[in-house]
Amino acid sequence: MSPVEALYYGLAALGLMAFLSVMVLALTWGERKALARIQMRMGPMRVGLHGTLQPVADVMKLVLKEDILPSWADRRIYWAAPLAVFVPAFLVWVTIPVSRDVVIRNMDVGLFYVVAITALSVLGLVMAGWGSANKYAILGGLRAAGQLISYEVPFIMAALAVAMLSQSLDLTEIVDGQAVFANALVQPLGLFLFFTAGLAELGRTPFDIHHAESEVVGGPFVEYSGAHWAVFFLAEYVNTFTIAALTVLLFFGGWRWPDVPFDGGVHTALSVLWFMVKTYAVILVIFWVRGTYPRLRIDQLMAFGWKLLVPLSFANIVLTGVVLFYGWPLWTLTVLSLGLLGGAFYLISILPGRGPSRMTVAVRPARDLRTRAAGSSASGVDSR
Amino acid sequence: MIGFLDSLLVTVRTALRRPVTAQYPDPSKRQPVAEGFMGFPALTWDEDVREPYCTGCMVCVRDCPTQCMSAVMDDNPKHAEGASRRRKIVREFEINLGRCILCGICVDVCNFDAIEMSHEHELSKYERNGNRVDLTRLLEMGRAYQRETGWGPSQPKKNSGVPVEKPAGEREKSAGGAAGR
Amino acid sequence: MQFQQQPAQQADSLDLMVNMGPQHPSTHGVFRLVIWIDGERIVRAEPHIGYLHRGSEKLCEGEQYGQIITLFDRLDYVSNLNCELAFCLTVEKLMGLEVPDRASCIRVVLCELNRIASHMLFYGVFGLDAGAMTPILYGFRERERVQSLFERVTGARMMHNYIRVGGVKEDLPSDFAERLGELTALLRAGIDECDELLTNNELFLSRTKGVGAIGGSEGVDYGLSGPSLRAAGVAEDVRVSEPYSIYDRFDYGIPVGTYGDCFDRYYVRMEEMRQSLRIVDQAMEQMEPGPVSAKVRRIARPPKGEAYLRTESPRGDFGVYLVSDGSDKPYRVKVRAPSFANLQALQRLLRGAYVADAVVILGSIDIVLGEVDR
Repeated sequence: MSPVEALYYGLAALGLMAFLSVMVLALTWGERKALARIQMRMGPMRVGLHGTLQPVADVMKLVLKEDILPSWADRRIYWAAPLAVFVPAFLVWVTIPVSRDVVIRNMDVGLFYVVAITALSVLGLVMAGWGSANKYAILGGLRAAGQLISYEVPFIMAALAVAMLSQSLDLTEIVDGQAVFANALVQPLGLFLFFTAGLAELGRTPFDIHHAESEVVGGPFVEYSGAHWAVFFLAEYVNTFTIAALTVLLFFGGWRWPDVPFDGGVHTALSVLWFMVKTYAVILVIFWVRGTYPRLRIDQLMAFGWKLLVPLSFANIVLTGVVLFYGWPLWTLTVLSLGLLGGAFYLISILPGRGPSRMTVAVRPARDLRTRAAGSSASGVDSR
Repeated sequence: MIGFLDSLLVTVRTALRRPVTAQYPDPSKRQPVAEGFMGFPALTWDEDVREPYCTGCMVCVRDCPTQCMSAVMDDNPKHAEGASRRRKIVREFEINLGRCILCGICVDVCNFDAIEMSHEHELSKYERNGNRVDLTRLLEMGRAYQRETGWGPSQPKKNSGVPVEKPAGEREKSAGGAAGR
Repeated sequence: MQFQQQPAQQADSLDLMVNMGPQHPSTHGVFRLVIWIDGERIVRAEPHIGYLHRGSEKLCEGEQYGQIITLFDRLDYVSNLNCELAFCLTVEKLMGLEVPDRASCIRVVLCELNRIASHMLFYGVFGLDAGAMTPILYGFRERERVQSLFERVTGARMMHNYIRVGGVKEDLPSDFAERLGELTALLRAGIDECDELLTNNELFLSRTKGVGAIGGSEGVDYGLSGPSLRAAGVAEDVRVSEPYSIYDRFDYGIPVGTYGDCFDRYYVRMEEMRQSLRIVDQAMEQMEPGPVSAKVRRIARPPKGEAYLRTESPRGDFGVYLVSDGSDKPYRVKVRAPSFANLQALQRLLRGAYVADAVVILGSIDIVLGEVDR
């Protein structure tokens, strides 16, 4: 590696770090504000205008807080875990293009690299769970392992179908393939699978079982505090941003669709802006889902992953393959995909019982019960 | 409608409405306390004779379920001068507001309209014993409450401290009786 | 890591003992639940109570009847008025007091509103237990509205000390009917919105359907009462079976579940809120001007004797047993707290459930620790 190249990558790493940190700060503020709106609150309002400096204050607090090491903890694993989570989250961004020219290093196998690297972060969570020597942490760590590995399958499968459609693993080419119409229009099922599996990969509601506050009290992170917890937090939000960016790249045409009608520097700036707008729209949906849904249970999570998402993602690949092989027009894929998506929604809606079996509570008039209580003269207890 | 999409609609509908909360210390958005709100107990002030209604009779002290108050009774110098009808007057009165449970029993039992649940409700103080308030503070709270609500005693005739215009001899007799006791 | 070997029945399995609480965020107060888990399944559960024990029953023996009402406020601190009512009714029963009609109507209106406020809190924390973070704020929005009305009437948002022996403390404010009308309209819309957010959501259904189910007769055996028992299909409501105050006058419905699972327990409460609104409306119609308190001496001195009275608090059968020795202080006060009795079924409900279900089941029986530990 020449000194110029080394300098370039060094500066790029620094720039990336700065970029991601700013994005994370924006995300934390955005999440708190979005949830506040959903819950009819105002959210952070004190630090800066409408609380815009709140994330900075949070970072200050976290960095200044004491780092606590539990006395039973496995010291090396405990301290290494945040890094093991953060480094993959960071590395993914080496190849994610924000615009055609704004990327550190475009790779031919960009998509492959991304899914390969994201799979590593599970290690850090298990390490954190084990190293903390805490029962909640170990429960959370093992839940995380099970969940992340299971949802890796539909996640990759959905991405694969997109790669089939664009005949490339290069993220820039995938975006270019969507110049006319986005993949979301062709593969609505793929979008659903990717987004849902992505939520599970992030461990966000409704799949946040590994750090479920009401059950395992933060899971692997329960013992962490201060700067180390901040690193976990940073990684979590970087991952959120990554998944949203990937959704935009793979399904919403990245910085294209519809194209920005300019040239040169203006084009780059506008396309970056366009990409960001789309990404934040996806992130807003993630927050919206978080503000609405309860969380799944571990067995339901596994069932949902293996029994619904995995078969559907295989079906998605087969459909895409068939349409591509026979050279059918792409709208047939849209129709077939929508059909399968409708089927999936139907399956989800009948899972906990539909129709009369769903509502099991009936209102009985007090008048009838009174006469019966008077008639039987007993305590009025009707043990069926 | 499929339920999980329905829920999303509910949340987006509420997100488009205005928040129901307001920034806390903003005085303009502060929810006013209701008229009958029971804040901390406070001692009322008799403007006519410039002294508290309280005679330090200890009824409230005895009836308080949490024993949060204490009082000391004294002879009323104004009574000796003939300026007030109250023979006895409160000298010291302390309420530990941190201990008070705002039940209002002291108000119910008071025979002199001397204690009233004010609208004061801020419990944060800068000192450890900041919630132990003395007579001066209690009267301040009471006067603020009186100004705010235009409070008047429920039995004005009985409890007013204004000396009743009686024939001179009788007045001297009653004054003498008090002094002799 | 510390593992605990389970000596007796599960000698072959290496169960992990997990302490939930008293600092766990979803134990609804200071409740400690020790669970032995095999993977994600609960093998055995052991509730530990007493962290909030204040000796209320013993304290009652040293207080006058009027002062005890403030202690009852703090038993079930989510539905204070219902507890006040239970105590006052018991004292009145012992004294043979006739309460003026207006006072009874006021009591019923406020107690039913309090039931709604209490169930709204249940709705919120139940959603939180299931992992949804928004219901608690919707629930609290409605609860705050009810409490604002209480503030107007009783002077306090929670610890009211409003219902007194022989009636109520003071008459309603002049604009009460108008404000109540606004409130009930808002509540109806609010309850429907809360209902819509969770009830049909498949994720919520899958978390609650068939979880922690208990049959009717078994529920009776465990001493369940209130919504938890009605969810199991037993149409037992003290307001109907042993009407107290003026509850026999109203026309309302008793929601009854089928399977006694978490969903039924949840929805029985949702439906109960609507029925409570019906009672409120009828009680307002029947309210007529008049005195709000019977003629009683300030310090009540019930005659020598004893009395027991059951009422339907939002959590179930709330009974007060009172022994008087003729003085101004009771000789003995015993409270039959529904939360405490309902908690007995917890061990049975948790057996074989998942760890995540433990939280939901505990939430669905809706305990209030102030009442459990007293």
